[in-house]
Amino acid sequence: MFFFFYVYNKGVPAMSAVEVKNLTFSYDGQTNAVEDVGFSVEKGTYCTIVGRNGSGKSTAAKLIAGLLDKKSGTILIDGIAMERENLLEIRRKIGIVFQNPDNQFIGSTVRDDIAFGLENHCVPQAEMDGIIEHFAAEVGMTSYLESEPSRLSGGQKQRVAIAGVLAMAPEILIFDEATSMLDPQGKDRIKQVIRTLHEDRSLTILSITHDIEEVSMSDQVVLLDKGKLVMSDTPEAVFSSEDRIRKTGLDIPFSMKLAKELKRYGVRLDETLRIEGAVEELCRLRSTK
Amino acid sequence: MGNFVLGKYIPLNSPVHRLDPRAKIIAMLAFLIAVFIPAGWIGYAVLFVIAAGTILLSRLSFGFIWKSMKPMIVMMIFLFLMNCLMIRTGEVLVTLGKFSVYTGAVAQTLYIVVRLLLMIMITTCLTATTKPLDMTLGIEDLLMPASKIGVPAHEIAMLISIALRFIPDLIEETMRIMKAQESRGVDMKEGRFSEKIAAILSLIVPLFVSAFQRADDLANAMEARGYAPGEKRTRYKVLHMRAADWLTVVGANAVLAGVIVLARILP
Amino acid sequence: MPIAFDKVSHIYSAGTPYEFKALDDVDLEFSEGKMTAVIGQTGSGKSTLVQHLNALLLPSSGTVRVMDREITAGTAPKGLKKLRGEVGLIFQFPEYQLFEETVLKDVSFGPKNFGVSEEEAQKRAKEALRLCGLDEQYDERSPLELSGGQKRRAAIAGILAMDPQVLVLDEPTAGLDPRGTEEMMKLFRTLNTKRGKTVIIVTHDMEQVFVYCDEVVVMADGKAAAHMSARDFFADSSICRSMNILPPAIIRTCDALREAGFDIPKEINTTSALAKCIARQVKRHG
Repeated sequence: MFFFFYVYNKGVPAMSAVEVKNLTFSYDGQTNAVEDVGFSVEKGTYCTIVGRNGSGKSTAAKLIAGLLDKKSGTILIDGIAMERENLLEIRRKIGIVFQNPDNQFIGSTVRDDIAFGLENHCVPQAEMDGIIEHFAAEVGMTSYLESEPSRLSGGQKQRVAIAGVLAMAPEILIFDEATSMLDPQGKDRIKQVIRTLHEDRSLTILSITHDIEEVSMSDQVVLLDKGKLVMSDTPEAVFSSEDRIRKTGLDIPFSMKLAKELKRYGVRLDETLRIEGAVEELCRLRSTK
Repeated sequence: MGNFVLGKYIPLNSPVHRLDPRAKIIAMLAFLIAVFIPAGWIGYAVLFVIAAGTILLSRLSFGFIWKSMKPMIVMMIFLFLMNCLMIRTGEVLVTLGKFSVYTGAVAQTLYIVVRLLLMIMITTCLTATTKPLDMTLGIEDLLMPASKIGVPAHEIAMLISIALRFIPDLIEETMRIMKAQESRGVDMKEGRFSEKIAAILSLIVPLFVSAFQRADDLANAMEARGYAPGEKRTRYKVLHMRAADWLTVVGANAVLAGVIVLARILP
Repeated sequence: MPIAFDKVSHIYSAGTPYEFKALDDVDLEFSEGKMTAVIGQTGSGKSTLVQHLNALLLPSSGTVRVMDREITAGTAPKGLKKLRGEVGLIFQFPEYQLFEETVLKDVSFGPKNFGVSEEEAQKRAKEALRLCGLDEQYDERSPLELSGGQKRRAAIAGILAMDPQVLVLDEPTAGLDPRGTEEMMKLFRTLNTKRGKTVIIVTHDMEQVFVYCDEVVVMADGKAAAHMSARDFFADSSICRSMNILPPAIIRTCDALREAGFDIPKEINTTSALAKCIARQVKRHG
């Protein structure tokens, strides 16, 4: 019996949350929006997907969420292949929050909107209020439960969208430029909510973003350009070549720009992703030299 | 836009507001049928008293009902004129040149006006006291038996509630596009005919593009949250019929029956 | 001619329960030929303010002076059309205003509305499109076929083709990638410095304000809470922080370094100057 378990465990390697191989997709049948893309994201990873407008990021996200049919290639979610017959099972594992706060608010109040997904999953009516209130509290929207969308800010609507997705107990959360239409306050709040979700629940996060700060805080960066994968690695590695970053339309964190300038004056920094880290290191350098 | 009150929900706390939407819809239908039964002036008097009573119970002001009626006045005047020209029964009331107005025309018009008045009174009572969402829930429940013969009751209700949800957004969007085009020199009010066509196109095309974009986003959002048309799903909002609701249904149907009897015994 | 607000208030839905005072007694003068940023939190009145600049909104009280015109509550709409050609206003997400069959037609729509001949309008449209980085191959395409970023460029070209003297932009780079944002901002700066256009830009992005703008107007609760040069605004982070605004990265870094005991002079405003200053201090200790 024990032996059997041992063999069983050994035979199945730790499954990635998301594994994409040779993924290709085309909207018009002529040009490929996503071409031969492959990467994998381990469970519990905070992964950012970056690239220029039109680089295929959102298309890739929709393919992974099962909202578009791939042309070729494979997508494995938690080891399950994305095929028509598995679609419902896979969708239950994935929650996705979109860019436009208005266009994903389905209910007429916050309460109804969070309930929408529960209704689809046939959750018994008696259990709904408890679930709704729990997740509204998790994103700080308890006092707005009866509010209509027209009375909420973009950031508040996005928090409702997150609560609505969380209520369906997904393992992987996709954010498709979820903060790009928000003001700085709204952005910060959403980023904070995502961070907390990642840390407290060890959810796998796939976030499509242009936010350099968010990218530098993530565990893994998938860089796309013109529908093709450029690289999938740590933020340090991805940011290491400024030429590549410039070519793919991104920017590098300010601390890295500073480190590059410092190098010209003979000062070398190791920690360059965050300002705080760079300042600490400069302090050490000053006292030891 | 702000002055248009027909069909608008007025959030108040009244016994009528608290009624089950299904009871209200059935009662309204019974009342509407009763309005079309020719039970003479006595019948209309009874119905008027009931409608006025309902308005009082709903705590709606008569000023509000009057406002809902306003858009209908032009139509009523038009009807009156048409009737005066067409109907030649009864005695001649006045003669204006070639035309004569008969008593029959006046009576006929009054009937129509009274019917319209009663219909507006009672439908306003329904729409002003029932949240749009509750209304769709009520319609969905009432259509449920029909879903056995293939009427997509749930889909119809979903359609209505989403339409209601996006009306304010689309109005806002229209204003925004209008302003953007005005900034490009479009004059929505004045200008030659060809300019007006261009002005309208510059509003309609972007509005359509954005509505399609919205529809696409919305479909994705619904699908991603597990919605599949025709699939079984539970419902968060469940309606409960209470004593007052049954009373309303029974009462409304009793009135209908009464009016039918009245119509029979009238000469 | 300067653009001036004199005791301007704007009230939405006056006399209803939804009454809202978006502008409250605003006194403000935008400097001609400068690039001015209008910043402030959502709901502070930024958008309402800029919509007064081409008279899309009229003041509820007070006077707006733009291009020799005085706009008050009672201003007749007659003379306003010409003003809209002189003050080009670009809304947030302007890609939604595209409607013609081809990009070229759409961009020449604006100038034609202001009485420019077909030929001249096309010429201007082509020039505006090139400025915005869309070459000939896009002229005859349908605007609907363009990518999001290209649509944005075409929409902005549609306003530039009107050749306005004042350019008003409401968050023109929202949703663009960093490179697209940089290209856009550089374009606006060039129009400002090389062609003498007055540029007024509503933005949340302090990095943009820091790098590209001459002056800053801060809106708060419907009032112009501050109006100063960008240099003074970013002299240290205290103004930003008092207004709950995240200062640009370089200012934050300078602050953190000062706190750690580094001596960073206030004049420093480029990365290389900062690096030089730090390097000197790190090495002095060696």
